[in-house]
Amino acid sequence: MSELINKKSLEHLATLARIDLGAHEETKMLKDVEAILEHFQELRNVPTEGIAPMTGGTSLTNQVREDVNVTKDTGKGPEAFPDVSGGYLKVPPVF
Amino acid sequence: MQHLHDLTIKRFHQGLLNKEFSALEITQNFFKWIETRDAEVHSYLSTHADQALRQAEAVDLQIARDEVVGELAGVPCAIKDNILIEGLPTTAASKMLEQYTAAYDATVIQKLKAEGAVLLGKTNMDEFAMGSSTENSAFKKTKNPHDLTRVPGGSSGGSAAAVAAHLAVAALGSDTGGSIRQPASFCGVVGLKPTYGAVSRFGVIAMASSLDQIGPITKTVEDSAILFRAIAGQDNLDATSAAVEYGPELITPKLETIRQLTVGIPEEYFVKELDPEIAAHIEKVIHDLESLGIKTKRISLPHTKYALSCYYIVMPAEVSSNLERLEGIRYSPVTGVQRDAHSLADLYRQNRSQGFGDEVKRRIILGTFVLSSGYYDAYYGHAQKVRALIKQDFDQAFKDVDVIITPVAPTRAFKIGEKIDDPLAMYLSDIFTIPVNLAGVPAVSIPVRGVTGLPIGFQLIGRHWREADILGIGQFYEKLHI
Repeated sequence: MSELINKKSLEHLATLARIDLGAHEETKMLKDVEAILEHFQELRNVPTEGIAPMTGGTSLTNQVREDVNVTKDTGKGPEAFPDVSGGYLKVPPVF
Repeated sequence: MQHLHDLTIKRFHQGLLNKEFSALEITQNFFKWIETRDAEVHSYLSTHADQALRQAEAVDLQIARDEVVGELAGVPCAIKDNILIEGLPTTAASKMLEQYTAAYDATVIQKLKAEGAVLLGKTNMDEFAMGSSTENSAFKKTKNPHDLTRVPGGSSGGSAAAVAAHLAVAALGSDTGGSIRQPASFCGVVGLKPTYGAVSRFGVIAMASSLDQIGPITKTVEDSAILFRAIAGQDNLDATSAAVEYGPELITPKLETIRQLTVGIPEEYFVKELDPEIAAHIEKVIHDLESLGIKTKRISLPHTKYALSCYYIVMPAEVSSNLERLEGIRYSPVTGVQRDAHSLADLYRQNRSQGFGDEVKRRIILGTFVLSSGYYDAYYGHAQKVRALIKQDFDQAFKDVDVIITPVAPTRAFKIGEKIDDPLAMYLSDIFTIPVNLAGVPAVSIPVRGVTGLPIGFQLIGRHWREADILGIGQFYEKLHI
């Protein structure tokens, strides 16, 4: 069985997911994820030729509303913002 | 005085109408009992007496004025902490949302409030509903009320333990891969995972959107039917919710109709992983159903063995997308993280690293992996096709039978700490519940009667939108054992 995941690819995934893993955490994560990916290999033997993927939880189509702007206000959400400036959420510099 | 142990939704409603007690008295008694018993069980993350007592008083006023009230009026309920109640904390048992106060009511909460239900508090769960034992909560470990050294199951472990320990008359949970049914089975209560699309998820913190459903956890099957009817229905705020009418048979099934049903017994669920004692008990349930005049038939769901792997690809993929919004800024700060980071990306990383627990991080990493370039087709794309095959198994089976009976979990409640260090072993506790979510069909977990020791549940799976079939059989099974 070829290697499914290694330290380098795990670190790359963690960067993409915006998570820092400590050294101890990384070792445990690598071991666990490796075992889980190993378990997934059983799916390779399932023939799926000509099968359409199931892309949602139902074969029904979603109900959609008319495409008009109904946004009136932001509700109480912004009350949870830690720092607001001119009605906008204030955050550290992006760059 | 009414004993809290005897209260079901049905019994509470009768007592309230007969003026045997007031909603306020009962609510006060629940809070007294919570103070004593929940110090051992730890089912609640927060209780909200002020709001609950006001809700109870409002119902008593309606009764005093001889106004007509619904069956849920005054009923003390517990709500899983991933469902939003305006003005109350909603943490999903995560440090990431430790200080979050919900800005609006979930649709299911609006419906319960409109019915006059009394909301006692928010119940413990695995962090963001990821787990099968409630041990992944960032705040506390809920104990199984039948044996305090064992887990209540998960992820809706707090809701199931609260109902089992009579700390609420009924509760709401959410079920993505078994999170209502498996804890219901471990705690000896009834838990219903409705058809995908039957209940609006607006206002529930999303875990895996193609699988999540909200459902009831109650003491009787009839109560589950009552609570389910109250929360079901189409909602413009959840595009996947469907307009389906449920008739009177949902609550009051007729034996002559139930006798027309055929129950399938799938060979793939009676495997070596299943505790032989549980298998023997399920056989007894099958005999009980046959004694009601229900026909049974051996069937096959050939792709069952692939469901676990399929689920653990589809679910983390959706988890990694849904949890992307949680950055520790908009909803709640993460305790211990300073906001003076050099850049926004640094702050995101610090918040997410300290705010999420191990299991959540594991699933985000797995989800990121199966969706990443070069692996997408081999993992996520392939799993979606396997999911279609699993659904086809059910479609095929339901041409021959109306309902399918299976165990809920391969074992009874396990010891606290037994599986927490071995994620795969933990995942295996859901092998019998996961296929149901992948197929989007409804299923209920019902306690097997006459079991000594820790509870065992059996699962009835129905066709899409046929909750009435599984709940109907369940009600007549319960009546056999009164």
